[in-house]
Amino acid sequence: MLGKLLKYEIKATGRTFLPLYLALIVLTIITKVLLFVAIPDAVMVSESGSNFDLPLVISLSLYGTIIVALFVLTLIVIIQRFYKNLLTDEGYLMFTMPVQTWKLILSKLLTAILWTIVCGFAVAISIFILALGNFSMMELSQEIGKMYSEFQNQFGMSLNIIIGEGIMLMIVDIISSILMIYVAIAIGQLFNQHRILASFGAYIGITVILQIVMSLLTLLFPVFGMDYLMSSEMNEIAVMQIFINSVTVFNIICIAAFYFITNYILKNRLNLE
Amino acid sequence: MAILRAKALTKKFGNLSALSNLDLDIPRGRIIGLLGPNGSGKSTFIKLATGLLVPTSGEITIGGATPGVETKAMVSYLPERTYLNDWMRAEDMMAFFGDFYEDFNRIKADNMLQDLNINPRDRLKTMSKGTKEKVQLILVMSRNAELYLLDEPIAGVDPAARDYILNTIITNYKENASVVISTHLIADIEQVLDDIIFISQGEIKLISTVDEIREKHNKSVDGLFREVFKC
Amino acid sequence: MKWIIDSDRPIYKQLVEQIELKIISGAYAPGDKIKSVRELAMEAGVNPNTMQKALAELERMGLVFAQRTSGRFITEDNKMIDEAKKTLAFKEIDGFFEKMKQLGFEKEEIIALIEKIEGDSHGHSES
Repeated sequence: MLGKLLKYEIKATGRTFLPLYLALIVLTIITKVLLFVAIPDAVMVSESGSNFDLPLVISLSLYGTIIVALFVLTLIVIIQRFYKNLLTDEGYLMFTMPVQTWKLILSKLLTAILWTIVCGFAVAISIFILALGNFSMMELSQEIGKMYSEFQNQFGMSLNIIIGEGIMLMIVDIISSILMIYVAIAIGQLFNQHRILASFGAYIGITVILQIVMSLLTLLFPVFGMDYLMSSEMNEIAVMQIFINSVTVFNIICIAAFYFITNYILKNRLNLE
Repeated sequence: MAILRAKALTKKFGNLSALSNLDLDIPRGRIIGLLGPNGSGKSTFIKLATGLLVPTSGEITIGGATPGVETKAMVSYLPERTYLNDWMRAEDMMAFFGDFYEDFNRIKADNMLQDLNINPRDRLKTMSKGTKEKVQLILVMSRNAELYLLDEPIAGVDPAARDYILNTIITNYKENASVVISTHLIADIEQVLDDIIFISQGEIKLISTVDEIREKHNKSVDGLFREVFKC
Repeated sequence: MKWIIDSDRPIYKQLVEQIELKIISGAYAPGDKIKSVRELAMEAGVNPNTMQKALAELERMGLVFAQRTSGRFITEDNKMIDEAKKTLAFKEIDGFFEKMKQLGFEKEEIIALIEKIEGDSHGHSES
């Protein structure tokens, strides 16, 4: 059933994203071409202001707009798919199907993660394409190689470990951010009126609570505090690792709590209008 | 054995009691009218049976199980609201039901669409409210369920469609399945009902067969209802 | 023939009466197979259980008989049908006399009136 849910979830969301991603591709190509025509040698651009070119300016500002639009739309779709599909009239269909509530939530979550990652990658690839030709690929790969070996020499470990831990933190952070939206919406629907307003309130409330919990944690366990870590004998990489990983663990706990609360509310306290 | 059973079923919203201490058995093979004025608790009762609401106390079981995945597969529910995804076509909804309900009969659904002159390629967005309600009814009645819960199925439709709906309910009749129709338009459906449940202010006021009422009171259920509830 | 259900009497009784009338009038011939309960229920727009009950009543009256495998049939016993016809006729006439008496007519007056009206209508048309 989860597979089928995902299929419809991707269908329902893909329809909104498709035009925007097409626009991004087209604009990337146009901007790239215009860039190439206007300033074949990009290094010169900052020095010579005379290269002002209207089509390029328009294309670049459109490009900027579409990237902002992509981020905003991703956020809106994440909120809207959860709220509209589950907690408005469509909820009458979704919650009476023979599917467990946690699967409904999971299908929304996985789709949301997918689009967030797609959004990030698409923008990164697009910018990379625009930048192509302005640097030497060979030099870049040599630079990266050098960085790795220096890191290895200095700290006796592979740079990949830190990068891996960083990526882990990012993924966990994305998931907990999405679930925080879900839990806020779920709490909002516990109210009889002004449910959307209540959801915003819940979101702010959770943010405040999390801040308090974090400061309490660093107060109770100074080991996790930046001050303590910096003043200790450890090298900066070890400090960074402890910091990254403890934030990751904290996020994982948040994920579990948010998921559990959302599921509990939607299962036991549902009250569709 | 009863398809639906409620024991001391109670639902409160804050301090407000929507249903209090309801005891009820709905046997299989019956077509039952759930009658009562607006706000009497009809929808609350149906929502409890579908699992959209959880009882405050007491219990409700369908086929012996409390509402959950297992019972949702047995129950075909028509809510008052239109729950269709606007961006889909009628045929997309058919595929959707086929994917999620094992008992969905696509051929039956296609035939019903044709009977009611609805083009399966039409987008739901372009349909009138009445047509959307028909599509929803087709989806619900095309399932081979054990319990059909129809919340105000004839409120908004034209007389021809109403007759079609009632005919569908009759043709669809199965000995192991029951249909519960909640409505305040009793006169229209009285003939297709076996039993009626009068509900008011969250309590059952009367359970009877239609013919018993006619025999005892010398008037139709509709007439009795108007007298009792003065509406 | 159309099915007419009024609002204030038990539905199954009305179904019994109407099927009985169809048998007596010959709309259903002796030995004819009756449609299935579901089909009849749909035709009349009534609950299948109610139609079932009506047919059971007709069976009890002897106007209809069931064969285990092949369904229900109209009785082939013409005497039974005639009997029902007579019973119904008596009932109608009783009701008629009852009403006429309420209007203040005596038995002889009523009969005279009937003959007069019958004679008149034969003079004009068959309606």
